Amino acid sequence: MRTRSIKYLYIVLLTGIFASCSNDYLDLDPTNKVPAEAVLSDPNGIRSYMANLYYELPIEDFVYFPRAGFNARGNTGSMSLSQYGLEAIHSEWPNWNQFNNQWWERGYKLNRDINLLEESVAKVEFSDAERAQLEGEIAFLRGYTYFALARRYGGVPLITENQEYTTDWESLRVPRNTEKQTWDFVLQQLDIAIEKLPEDRLSLDETKRRATKWAAAGLKVRAALHAASVAKYWDRAPLSGEAVSANLVGLPAAAASGYYQAVIETSESIMASGKFGLYRPEPGSPEEAAQNYQALFMDPNNALDEVLFMRGYGHAGGPLAHDYDGWNNPSQTGEGFPHTGRTNPVMELIDRYERYDNPGTEAPIVTTTDGQVHEGEFDPSLDYIRYASPEEIFQGKDARFFASIIHSGSLWKGTEIVIQGGVVRPDGSLLSAQGSVEHDGVTYYTYGGENANQYSGYDGTPNKTRTGFLMKKFLDEEARINTWLQSTTDFMDIRYAEVLLSYAEAVVESGQGNTAVATQALNDIRKRAGHTVDIPLTLENVLRERKVELAFENKEYWDLIRRREYHEIFNNYVKTALVPLLDLRGPEPAYIFVRKNVPGAQPNTFPERDYYRGIPGVNNNGLIQNPQH
Amino acid sequence: MKKLKTFGAALIGLFLLGSCELNELDNYDGPNATISGGIYDVDTGELLQQDIINGMQIEYVEHGFENPQIQRMIVKTDGTYRNNLMFAGTYTIQVVRGNFQPVEPEEIKVEGNTVKNFEVRPYIRIRDAVIERQDNKIVATFNLSQTVTNQVSRLGLFVHEEPNVGEPLNQLASVVNFNAVSNDVTRYSLEINLDANAAVLQSGKEYYFRVGALIDAPEAKYNYAPAVRIGI
Repeated sequence: MRTRSIKYLYIVLLTGIFASCSNDYLDLDPTNKVPAEAVLSDPNGIRSYMANLYYELPIEDFVYFPRAGFNARGNTGSMSLSQYGLEAIHSEWPNWNQFNNQWWERGYKLNRDINLLEESVAKVEFSDAERAQLEGEIAFLRGYTYFALARRYGGVPLITENQEYTTDWESLRVPRNTEKQTWDFVLQQLDIAIEKLPEDRLSLDETKRRATKWAAAGLKVRAALHAASVAKYWDRAPLSGEAVSANLVGLPAAAASGYYQAVIETSESIMASGKFGLYRPEPGSPEEAAQNYQALFMDPNNALDEVLFMRGYGHAGGPLAHDYDGWNNPSQTGEGFPHTGRTNPVMELIDRYERYDNPGTEAPIVTTTDGQVHEGEFDPSLDYIRYASPEEIFQGKDARFFASIIHSGSLWKGTEIVIQGGVVRPDGSLLSAQGSVEHDGVTYYTYGGENANQYSGYDGTPNKTRTGFLMKKFLDEEARINTWLQSTTDFMDIRYAEVLLSYAEAVVESGQGNTAVATQALNDIRKRAGHTVDIPLTLENVLRERKVELAFENKEYWDLIRRREYHEIFNNYVKTALVPLLDLRGPEPAYIFVRKNVPGAQPNTFPERDYYRGIPGVNNNGLIQNPQH
Repeated sequence: MKKLKTFGAALIGLFLLGSCELNELDNYDGPNATISGGIYDVDTGELLQQDIINGMQIEYVEHGFENPQIQRMIVKTDGTYRNNLMFAGTYTIQVVRGNFQPVEPEEIKVEGNTVKNFEVRPYIRIRDAVIERQDNKIVATFNLSQTVTNQVSRLGLFVHEEPNVGEPLNQLASVVNFNAVSNDVTRYSLEINLDANAAVLQSGKEYYFRVGALIDAPEAKYNYAPAVRIGI
């Protein structure tokens, strides 16, 4: 024993002495990695390198969650961006609004990878046509990367050449550019991409999933609209401090007009290309419109005319699949996936969907006979409208409501979805805790069923909705999801409807462009949703239409940010739910509905400084920090 | 036993590995000073009411460092503040984003228990505020005198069970968009109907009511009169 421990001690001593302060001892070439030069000196190597850049691209899709970051799979909680705005709330964590700030570092890593690629492409033999395409693609990837940086951090250091490692730290510390320079750089990169990229690639699949001229144009529309809005609405939430004085955040109001002009010109070129259209633009009825709209998101490959750029998924069970179906299916059709019902749409969205009998204006859900919108707990003295069935209250609403949202009484995967928050006893008292009421020989259960697999709402567990609604958009009604990574639905990042809506917004906000064309763009989108009456081009109409058409597509959060509306809404604010109750007070049981604050949700206040995220590591990188971070 | 010896050997190895000055302990002293004080109205000498959430802040930067970070303190509702974990030294300190006309940064020396009061000119003074129950209503009446020519953008009566009630923390509020320049003579009023808000304002409970007015200036915060406790 003793000799052995001395031997140990001896070995450890030797190791320690060798390892102490030796500099070149560990300086070996790794044998388990392929050096960059080997990959990037070969055209095929460059193509596979490119594939990884697309994977890293900051696309806010089915695997983006603000708290977990990009390409987040596994137990993310599915706390999606739609839950951070006025579209939905999370069934388990209604009070979380956390942002992971990893994108700064990952963004600059991606930027470095793009710069390395550019450096190598210049040295490798390509035909002129191939070279132009690669240069266009590099500009697209770079534009996308800086777009994601700019909308989070404002002005950022523009680093377009690979930095060589050196101990001369100061030479590596690149100061921030202004926010204006950063947005102009994004648009300029996308202009290069538009000029150099092909309109089509070898196959339709590749055309839609890899950068093209039109993908770059679509992204330019989005980026320019963001910049235009920040310039126009900066004064709604002005900030101060060193970063503002140096123009590192903030845009002058005078810049708005130029950015709106960029939106208009670029959208017009997309519209004039004749390559894009809305999927099934003229449905025969609202029912047909709802089916079409649902199909558009269940499988965008059936609707490629509408797609400018999308991200593909595949290989169920592997790392290129996602879990949107699993997380968001109603509890009743959970099919064995361990978590369900996470994204719960809120009344702030439901109310925006119009009624066909009153087009051009939002249609708040009215629950009482006086026709007023009442909010608050169940009040036995109020005269609630009584419905024979739980879905009747939604009749006549926009087709996109039925295609995007599962409500009480919806038929989903052949199952009637039961969402009920309580039973009103014949004496007018409310049962909202787990239990049952006997009445006329029938047993009525609080949540609409005796067992937890017979209903999908309100029992307070994370698998049930706490708002009365569940998300339907993107979910595959044909799929059976019983384990992880089974969803392969593709995500449309940029679709034609967004371009039309951005065009309409830019025209109405700036007074530039063609009002007639913008009005038609707005009404074409409505027509596809089963509307038959044209509405005028007003800011209110455009914004409502945008909210409804693009719901859950991870756009609305940024709309509130860029238009500086977020802090005015989230000021001591609680989102609203709709609670269906079974009322036993009358001769026949009937459904009544109560609008109230989402149970368990606390007031939420947004600090204005969070219009920009804090820059990590300013002690080391020497950058000027964003205001108040 | 054998595990223990292996562990011991590993430990010794670690110490040896640490011979590149990695074994210096963090032996800096802890905070050794405090700072406290209040935000005072330069003309009346009264403490200036504030908000805790999203309220004004005191920014301070310690001298003698390269690339120093801005540190921040928040202020209590009554306008006082305190930080018991300060390091003695020289600082540049400034009250920012408040409900008063902007002031310049100052240099101060902090040691022991330092008291630092700030004298500022509030954007709006809410004078002679009376909040009382009239039948089924809570009515607030008050005068405004503003020290700048900007418009007053909003007036609000805020209610909460907590005494820290204000615009960012309320269960109920009656807010009007005023968007005009106020005058010294008009008696302004705001009210909250108790019957219509019975679900929030329950009878038998006590609530704090506070009147506020917001100037139209960048990053301005509400000016307030002190909160009043009323039983419903």
